[in-house]
Amino acid sequence: MTTIRADKTQDSVKAGKKAGPWLVLLLAGVFEVGYALSVAGSSGFTTLGWSASAFVFFLLTLFCLSVALKAIDVGIGYAVWAGIGAVGAAVLGPVFFDEVLTPVRAFWLAVIIGGVIWLKLADSPKLQGSSTGA
Amino acid sequence: MSWLYLGIAVLFEVAVGIAASKAQGFTQLWWTIGTLVSGAIATFFLSLALLTFDVGVGYAIWTSVAGVGIVIVGALFLDQRLDWKKGLGIAVVIGGVIGLQLSGAA
Repeated sequence: MTTIRADKTQDSVKAGKKAGPWLVLLLAGVFEVGYALSVAGSSGFTTLGWSASAFVFFLLTLFCLSVALKAIDVGIGYAVWAGIGAVGAAVLGPVFFDEVLTPVRAFWLAVIIGGVIWLKLADSPKLQGSSTGA
Repeated sequence: MSWLYLGIAVLFEVAVGIAASKAQGFTQLWWTIGTLVSGAIATFFLSLALLTFDVGVGYAIWTSVAGVGIVIVGALFLDQRLDWKKGLGIAVVIGGVIGLQLSGAA
């Protein structure tokens, strides 16, 4: 019991330190949505404004993700980042472009996005370690 | 043609995932360059695919199938374990892409 309590205390201390990296990770997710929308808006990189914005978002998302992953488990970090990016692109696509998110389409997108989040979590050394320990 | 563009974009995104993991926080110069160059090529072909696909659909397929590719490459060449959990994730992603295509929602 004492060891468990000690672990929990350590975990909560770590969690406090991890608030910053999580914010950076959320920011990376938001930038990834900006990247996806910009790439779509660039019409095959033929429009300058959207192309420039795609380039800037590409560097920003990569930078923030790499900073966040120094503190956050890679599998969990990628899962959150990919989830925000894909859900954001699906929801905001119809806002910016002539797109429709039908119920059927939303369902299959949810399956795909759920699958990739699961896949990234299955790649997490931290989660795999805790599941075999239990 | 759009599926071909998307496929090429996926291949280079797999390269991005592998290179980025080798770049160790972008401290390794050549893996960092590899990440950026692969990312640029992947982005270009994604933009060609998105001329046809809606961004929500094209982006989700692109990032998810690339995720499947990274796990498969990792298992084949990088000595990473391919357990039932990863197998299930791969099956769900592929099933979702097929469902999207067959339902006409892609």
